[in-house]
Amino acid sequence: MPDNWSFVLAAYGLAALVLGGYWRRLLRRERELAARERRRGAARDEPRPAHAPPGPPIPRR
Amino acid sequence: MTSRERVLGWVAGLGLTAGFVMAFGVAPREATQGNVQRIMYLHVPAILVAYLAFGVVLVASVIYLWGRAAGADRLAHASAEVGVVFTSINIATGAIWGKPTWGTWWTWDARLTSVSIMFVIYLAYLLLRAMIEDHERAARFAAVLGIVAALDIPLVHFSVYWWRTLHQPATLLRPGSTPMDPPFVLALIVNLVAFVLLYGYFVAKRVRLLRQEQEVLA
Repeated sequence: MPDNWSFVLAAYGLAALVLGGYWRRLLRRERELAARERRRGAARDEPRPAHAPPGPPIPRR
Repeated sequence: MTSRERVLGWVAGLGLTAGFVMAFGVAPREATQGNVQRIMYLHVPAILVAYLAFGVVLVASVIYLWGRAAGADRLAHASAEVGVVFTSINIATGAIWGKPTWGTWWTWDARLTSVSIMFVIYLAYLLLRAMIEDHERAARFAAVLGIVAALDIPLVHFSVYWWRTLHQPATLLRPGSTPMDPPFVLALIVNLVAFVLLYGYFVAKRVRLLRQEQEVLA
């Protein structure tokens, strides 16, 4: 029987693509969640603005 | 990434490298099929890991329905997702092996059909989880489906004994000793161990991400 190396290559290549693709998807999700967590942390730590005095806003020039 | 995950990832990477060396450097060329038989070092471990993954879904689903443990639900979700990845590898590599060996990419054989049904059932499981917004409801429905879906696992495995099929009987999970020579068995086992480690790495990572997603959405 011929060796059919092209089929062997296709099978291993496809498996590497599927596993690598899933791994990359997990890494991307991990980065997204870390960025969202950082934004949440920054929003929490930001100093609150001082209470604005009553009255109409002063127009800017 | 936790240090445990990192270690598991590195060990899985080493295992995959060892499996590749075993498949191409140690296992000899098979006399009848030729080198195309080397696809079996992917195809067989992939389905065995898929059985493991869906078995974990079954156990975690039962635990979730029993005590509503959120961790069990996350484990079931992660394991189903990774199981679907390994099942897709099994189906694709089987088709690639089938063309030069059987002369066809696909046939409506009992084993091929039952594996495809299993793949679609667990895709539906993931779809169900994604479609229901109420997290508690999604977890409950998915747990019920995760238990019912497991009925297909013995159907897949024993299909080659219960029906007359083109697919050969099991080579590893069978009563009695395996008909393969030791170098072939060793290559298969090293690849199986590597795939199990990779499954563990993926599931550990996915469980942690699911927990973080729930914390962010809370």
